[in-house]
Amino acid sequence: MDSATTFPILLSVQVGLISLTLVTVPGLALAWLQARRRYRLRALVDALILLPLVLPPSVVGFFLVIFMGRNGPLGGLLETLFGVRLVFTPTAAVIASSIVALPLLVKTAQPAIEAVPIELEHVGRSLGLSSLQLFFRVTLRAAWPGVLAGLVLAFARALGEFGATLMFAGNIPGRTNTMPLEIFAAYQAGDDSRAMLYVLVLTGFSLVVVYAASRLNGRFEGSR
Amino acid sequence: MILEANFSVEIGDFSLTVELQLESGVLVLFGPSGAGKSLTVSSLGGLIQPTSGTIVLGGQTIFSSTKEVNLPTRDRGIGYVPQQDALFPFLNVAENVAFGLPRHRRSPDEPKLTKLLDELELTHLAKADPTSLSGGERRRVAFARALAVEPKLLLLDEPFASLDRAGSRRMRSVLARVLERHGTPTVLVTHDQSEALALGDQLVLFERGRTVDSGTPHNVLARQQIVVEGQVIGSQEEGGLSTVRLSEVSVTGPTEQVKPDSSGRMRLQIPVPDDGQ
Repeated sequence: MDSATTFPILLSVQVGLISLTLVTVPGLALAWLQARRRYRLRALVDALILLPLVLPPSVVGFFLVIFMGRNGPLGGLLETLFGVRLVFTPTAAVIASSIVALPLLVKTAQPAIEAVPIELEHVGRSLGLSSLQLFFRVTLRAAWPGVLAGLVLAFARALGEFGATLMFAGNIPGRTNTMPLEIFAAYQAGDDSRAMLYVLVLTGFSLVVVYAASRLNGRFEGSR
Repeated sequence: MILEANFSVEIGDFSLTVELQLESGVLVLFGPSGAGKSLTVSSLGGLIQPTSGTIVLGGQTIFSSTKEVNLPTRDRGIGYVPQQDALFPFLNVAENVAFGLPRHRRSPDEPKLTKLLDELELTHLAKADPTSLSGGERRRVAFARALAVEPKLLLLDEPFASLDRAGSRRMRSVLARVLERHGTPTVLVTHDQSEALALGDQLVLFERGRTVDSGTPHNVLARQQIVVEGQVIGSQEEGGLSTVRLSEVSVTGPTEQVKPDSSGRMRLQIPVPDDGQ
């Protein structure tokens, strides 16, 4: 396979992994916050978390262009201060993927954390754990199957992100053409065999990831 | 005095006012469900914050509304066994018991751990999954885990609630033996008289969010009994029921329950006590 063929595969995997890395900490923090704290703006925060999941990806992409494009408040600031341009870059693809992946992680991990009996945390505190230790040694471990499912879904979503990426990162061959974009471009150009290649790679990859997570989870449950 | 607590808690419509002291041994918090016993334990453990008052444990103020002190649970030096024994399902028995120990002392060969497992008859279950244990075994693991950190005070919230009568009696003797050996001051929540009498050195009686009486379990519970005395002048049995006729009858008991109605008559309905108590 030539580099033009392998590039979308490698880029997609990179974008998926970087997005997953970026959303893991804020995603788990938000899942814990929504699961364990009752505060005044909780419903609003919930709605904001869900928004990228319910809005069409094109709307998310439009928002990203408006805010982070060259003339947007954040994009303009970054360009003026640091000379950094986000739009139509691989970084834009990562941002778009992260934004659509985050709700899936939060909304899958949150019920898993909610399901951890509060008594486990009370006992953990009585045994001398700080809040952070409690999260890692008790809450996260007890909620792990759900959290793992959330991480897998977030990665799969990041890997397959299309609409927002197309609008914010564009489809620039050798630069921002992830597999989903390449499938669309090849199909439009009538190159079905090229589209099929990426369809198969993407399907196979997603299948392997979900299957591996399921096996890992089974081993985790078995080791209890 | 190991524990001195005077505090109040307001949660919605419910208000709790607590006054209790413990010098050593086992202090029983006794009373009906909803009287505020578990809320008291949660306050002592720092799991909820009282509205006002003071809690002093081992000479250290762990809560004071006036001094704005509220020591977090992890720094209070308490061992806590909740109603649901709350074993960590992702750890085996030995790992559960060792959970609160420093990392370098969590090995299965740690002498303190093996001793505790032995004392609570858990050695053969050290590698067992908590979900495979019986109710009594789970309780023993929870006790061992709480005792492993050598707490200044042990908080046991209805520790025998989920056990059957035989299991509860067995656990009572195990717990009495272990507490005596360790000498850990303990606050025990129960609404079971036999538990209170078997394990308690002191008892505080709770009613509708207030501590209304305290003393030795025998004395406090005796003050809660209604005693009917009189000269038997006749009796009859029919269909498993006995009727005994008395003269010169006197009735002694808590004033609220022993009082004639406006017509000068009095009728007491006393539930038949459980057997085997």
